[in-house]
Amino acid sequence: MRGLRSALAVSLLLGLLAAAPAGAQDRVKSKEVVIGLGAEPRTMLAVTIVDWTTNTQLEHIYDRLLDRDPKTLRPKPMLATGWRIVNDTTWEFTLRQGVKFHNGEPFDAQSVKATMDYLKNPASKSHYAAYWRLVKEVQIVDPYTVRLVTEKPWPSLIDRASLTDFLVLPAKALRELGPEKLNQHPIGTGPFRFVEWRRDERLVLERNPDYWAGPADVARVTFRFIPEFSARMAALLSGEIDIMKDVPPHVVEAVERSGRAKIRAAVSSRINYLALVNLKPGPMQDPRVRRAINHAVNVDELIAQVLKGRATKICGPLSPANVDYAPVECYTHDPQRAAALLREAGHDPAKLQLTLDTPSGRYPLDKDVSLAIAAQLQRLGIKVNVVVNEWGTHLDKIKNRNTGDMFFLGWGPAVFGQGVIEPLFQANQTYSSYGNNPLINEKIAKAITIVDPKGRAAAYAELQRLAHEEAAWVPLWQQHDLYGVASHVEWSPRADEKVWMYDAKVVAR
Amino acid sequence: MRAYVASRLVQTALVVFLSLTAVFGMVRLSGDPVLLFMPMDIQAKDVNEFRERLGFNDPIAIQYGRFVAGALRGDFGESLRYRRDALALVLERVPATLLLGGTALLLTLAIAVPLGVVSAVHRDSLLDHLGTLATVLGQATPGFWLGLMMIYLFSVQLGWLPTGGRGSLAHLVMPSIVLAAFFAARIARLTRSAVLDVLGEDYVLTARAKGLGEARVIGKHTLRNSAIPIVTLAGLEAGQLLGGAVITETIFAWPGLGRLTVQALLNRDFPVVLAAVFLISVLYTLINLAVDLLYGWLDPRVRLR
Repeated sequence: MRGLRSALAVSLLLGLLAAAPAGAQDRVKSKEVVIGLGAEPRTMLAVTIVDWTTNTQLEHIYDRLLDRDPKTLRPKPMLATGWRIVNDTTWEFTLRQGVKFHNGEPFDAQSVKATMDYLKNPASKSHYAAYWRLVKEVQIVDPYTVRLVTEKPWPSLIDRASLTDFLVLPAKALRELGPEKLNQHPIGTGPFRFVEWRRDERLVLERNPDYWAGPADVARVTFRFIPEFSARMAALLSGEIDIMKDVPPHVVEAVERSGRAKIRAAVSSRINYLALVNLKPGPMQDPRVRRAINHAVNVDELIAQVLKGRATKICGPLSPANVDYAPVECYTHDPQRAAALLREAGHDPAKLQLTLDTPSGRYPLDKDVSLAIAAQLQRLGIKVNVVVNEWGTHLDKIKNRNTGDMFFLGWGPAVFGQGVIEPLFQANQTYSSYGNNPLINEKIAKAITIVDPKGRAAAYAELQRLAHEEAAWVPLWQQHDLYGVASHVEWSPRADEKVWMYDAKVVAR
Repeated sequence: MRAYVASRLVQTALVVFLSLTAVFGMVRLSGDPVLLFMPMDIQAKDVNEFRERLGFNDPIAIQYGRFVAGALRGDFGESLRYRRDALALVLERVPATLLLGGTALLLTLAIAVPLGVVSAVHRDSLLDHLGTLATVLGQATPGFWLGLMMIYLFSVQLGWLPTGGRGSLAHLVMPSIVLAAFFAARIARLTRSAVLDVLGEDYVLTARAKGLGEARVIGKHTLRNSAIPIVTLAGLEAGQLLGGAVITETIFAWPGLGRLTVQALLNRDFPVVLAAVFLISVLYTLINLAVDLLYGWLDPRVRLR
């Protein structure tokens, strides 16, 4: 199927005319941008369902308390203009004045409190309740100052606030109309207003002329839902859509040559890794075996050969895009050393049999990468049985600890340390592959409560060093997000995967 | 006749109930529903809290009882993925599905029956061979390939038709042709052989002998007598078009029932799966009933009891 698709993709371009089609020309005049996504949003209600596709659309309607700098990924002001730590368990936010919701309702401390109350109310069944569990209450100091009081010290609160985890709802509308009405017609403070959602077809938004940071250049944003990648690509090349997410590496060149669209890439904060499972009996219990696998897998070769250079290698559990990143040295590619380590651990490489579980189509070329890893280990004589799982089965196997000795997984957006280290390095966490290490458990428990920036940096640096020594994973890379962007749209993707149209410009060419 | 229809409707209810029960059992075996719609980076205890709140920790018999009690009131619960009433979500897709399925079915019959009849009447002629070639091609061409090729030609190259989506008549052209190509091939072949069978019958000879025109011989005496297998297959195909146009719907981004159902299965969105199975099985058995009633009309020797 993939071969056929690439054949199609290439043939798609052979007969292409470079002139922009009529639909696209009209959109240049009306300043409309159409984005092709693989799926529709799951809700129009903020802070309810955690889902990338949903949130990248909702963020145009609702604003967050804090944004992240698209380059450094550090928190920066949005609806909150400032923040400070009052004491170990209290954060104070100063709110932007003069901001209005799309229905005219003013944004103030009540909006923040109502949003937190909504998401923490069990009746809302919000996924975000889990993210904000440590928040005990929201105190209103004055209409433009709020304090979040936490049960115990929680330095990563600021990281949560600047992800998509706190899109602010209008207090009065929420009270008077209720969540169901707001779901049908969402009201936020964002740069675009809701126009229409035709289920499984399109979501249409229009520019908010009164946006607090000034109106967007784009007058109208339409998200179209096109599940098939080849059809999405055809829609881009025929000028029906202007932006397409997830262009596979093997058709990048074809898009570039089309004359109608160009490729825009971002190094994502999302990481891919090969877990070396020590939560079940088997050879991976022995750190020497895990180190041996790290020496045997040639990550550079995988990036060059399988991903055509479209990935950025990482050496530890956190990537440089993570605010808590500290450099660790890579395991060198050294098959001799790998073989020696295996023998030291009592394994004859030629007799070693391992199983590797992989999803297919969830991460860029995940299955192909897994097969290539198997081939690399085969060079040492290790026989690797690659098991390709449907996504739901893959997750079940990880949860029930009945994967093979290794599994492939991606994680992200991974922009702060706690969000990676806590769920992936402790035995009692759903998707962990590693654990039962009292030293690491203790260090994690401590690191996530250190408020002082220097102490926090040191604590996470130590954890990264420990994870590297323990060789819990073969860290692979940060994904590159590849977008096809029509020539008349100026827009750069971000490391946090937001398809943020406030930054886009429509230009006549 | 009335008693027959009444008893068939009772059977329908039974069939729907049994399919729902079977599917209920199967989806519960497919794995944990909660993992797939919850964010990955939350604590195991929070995931379990959701499982508890949604009742997935209860014994399966209790969950089944709750499901049956709800289903009897038309309440299939809330979609786990979309947080909306599952049956409403499914019913929303019905117009799009009927539009595409209906168009494809009409197109199928409009192509297949004349093709089959002409092939049979002019057996072994060039026309017949061309017809056979067309039907073999139609059956052998995978829908996704035909769909992508048509998108390439008519949307990307020529810019005549939209690549997908719904809205105008133009949006309907390619998906209905792709669907009809496969189904028409099957019906054309069946029509050809059914007509050939009847053409050998004595009463056709008689009709010709008494000097009836060819149009009457074929239209009245032959076609009506060869209609039963055609109607049977068309009924089956109509059922398949309702729930089974998944690939076509996916390629052309058509918001139909089939795609919703398959997505719900992959996402283990149990309430939506069950609501969809409910609707599809009701429609399917009703189509079967209609086909059976048609038999009686087509062939008075068939007595419905």
